[in-house]
Amino acid sequence: MNMAEKIAGVWPEIALLLGAALCLLVGLARSVAIRRFTGWIAAASLLVAGWIVAAQVCNAGGVIGLTPYIKLAVVAVGLILLMVAAAVPVQLKMTRDIEAGREPFEPGLVIRGEFFAFFLFSLTGVMLTADASDLVWLFLALELTSLPTYVMVATSRDRVEAQESGVKYFFLGAMAAAVFLYGFALIYGATGQTSFSLIVDAANQQIAAQGRISPLLTTGIVLSLLGVAFKIAAVPMHFYAADVYQGATTAVTAFLAFVPKTAGFVALIALLGLLPDGYVPPAITWLLWIMAALTMTVGNVLGLMQSNVKRVLAYSSIAHSGYMLVGLLALHGSGDALGNGTAAILFYLVAYGLATIGAFAVLGSLQARGEEAETFDDISGLVRTHPVLAGVMLLSVLSLLGLPPMIGFLGKIYLFGSAIQHGFVGLVVIAVLNSAVSAVYYLRIASACFFGDSEGHTVSTPGISRPLAAGIAAVAALILGFAGGRLVSTARDAGGFPTGRNDVVTTPSQPPAATTASR
Amino acid sequence: MTTITLAVSEFGLYAPVGILLLMAIGFGVANVALSTVLGPSRHGKVKGMVYESGMNPIGSAKRRFNVRFYIVAMTFLVFDVEIVFLYPWASVFPSLAEGSPYGVLFLSRMLFFVLTSIIAFAYAWRKGVFRYD
Repeated sequence: MNMAEKIAGVWPEIALLLGAALCLLVGLARSVAIRRFTGWIAAASLLVAGWIVAAQVCNAGGVIGLTPYIKLAVVAVGLILLMVAAAVPVQLKMTRDIEAGREPFEPGLVIRGEFFAFFLFSLTGVMLTADASDLVWLFLALELTSLPTYVMVATSRDRVEAQESGVKYFFLGAMAAAVFLYGFALIYGATGQTSFSLIVDAANQQIAAQGRISPLLTTGIVLSLLGVAFKIAAVPMHFYAADVYQGATTAVTAFLAFVPKTAGFVALIALLGLLPDGYVPPAITWLLWIMAALTMTVGNVLGLMQSNVKRVLAYSSIAHSGYMLVGLLALHGSGDALGNGTAAILFYLVAYGLATIGAFAVLGSLQARGEEAETFDDISGLVRTHPVLAGVMLLSVLSLLGLPPMIGFLGKIYLFGSAIQHGFVGLVVIAVLNSAVSAVYYLRIASACFFGDSEGHTVSTPGISRPLAAGIAAVAALILGFAGGRLVSTARDAGGFPTGRNDVVTTPSQPPAATTASR
Repeated sequence: MTTITLAVSEFGLYAPVGILLLMAIGFGVANVALSTVLGPSRHGKVKGMVYESGMNPIGSAKRRFNVRFYIVAMTFLVFDVEIVFLYPWASVFPSLAEGSPYGVLFLSRMLFFVLTSIIAFAYAWRKGVFRYD
């Protein structure tokens, strides 16, 4: 596939990019009324991007491959995230004072434009990750996802903790980028190619010649997996998660819990797609096995020991990465959703995203003593002051826990079911035990909301958008749990096409042999 | 032929580079050593100054710079890198065949790229990066 055809696939990203540029410029307008448009511009560009993806899907005969699936998920969840994040600029004292007319307008001190621009840039990065069919493209897309989030963490809160966590996140992220870039370099060194399909060809030739892929290629893939593990906060690259999630403002934390993780899993699926069909070196299988087991266990055990709800949810996010790593082991499956790890991960990403964003949105809707609510004390007895928010929180944690009516239950069934079909029974036993452990801290959140004593110092933040977003996420998690059939079948179709060969899906007219012939 | 045997057999090709390197090091070392051994040595306060026959230095060289220089440097970098990307494009563009359908595509793509930098520049300007007061 040449570059011109590739560009035709990225119109949704271009729409988001233009929206981001517009946000930057409009955010500098002298009039407050005009500056307030930035959030709406971001929403409009997301809708336009979603419309373009839908049109592309219709043109391709209604088949939703992995790439359009991720893009649609990013648009849908991105709109909920935008509702949660819409009030972030107003939370900053400088922006608030200037907009209330207490201070003269000074373009350098208002962050209305940048915040939404970075929001859109990061989502653009996830979409581009789903488009990747080349190592260089994949690297740039992953960095485009991460770089804006560093700034969002540091600038979205008037506290030194936010800057501390931003700096931590930046340096550790740069280190992780170096690790997976080195892995990419080794993959290139072992095969002489950067294009995914050509790398698969080279790996097939190595298998034909020696019965295995070269150690250099294995090392390259292992290093890439480790580096990308930072994006999904998997052990051993999980250290930053709790501090960064706590330091960032709650809306940005919700963003961090979904967006980089999605990009990371799409990249992991693409990287494992570099291996020839049905062949996974034992080293990589064991690496994923151990990473999955450790990630789940570390996340859940450390989650038990926290007194801060945001830190609990951070460790819960680590644990969920562990569950999804289980699905990664069953990647090359049959078309059935129960046997196909890719489909299970794609479904679980949405399930996890809705539940965790619901929980963070509830936290973001509350404030205690002028600060964001984040400890168990702050949400204690929530049901007496804010019954709806307490209900939403209950639905969210039940979905994270994976109880039957919720979408999280379906997600876990598919993940663990696909792993069992591939013979990873031991790992699934560990995963189920971990789910049981996680019940302790999830139910602790729920019981604090429902049975705790309210000290009456928790009030809601102004604005309706956050409670609304929390409600939408929780109701969606509930409805999709009952009637998720359409999403499941879509995820199954999407999972049937591993990336690296997604070129074939987006342009059915092109024969798959064309890429090999062009060498 | 593997990379290693290739490196050994073709090593002769690198000999001129090695000889040049040895000559450069030898020239530098020889000059410093000979002038230390043979030359007269006189020390003094004036002679030890940074610019022996220039301005008298004021203060230390290790002083703090205003952070705005950093932002200016970053803005410079944006345009520096943009030129780096423009250069290969400019060297390929004239070699397109007359009436090639890619002409408009290539040009508009580069214009889009330049436009992103212009937006960045306008943004930086409005944010007061270039204002010194």
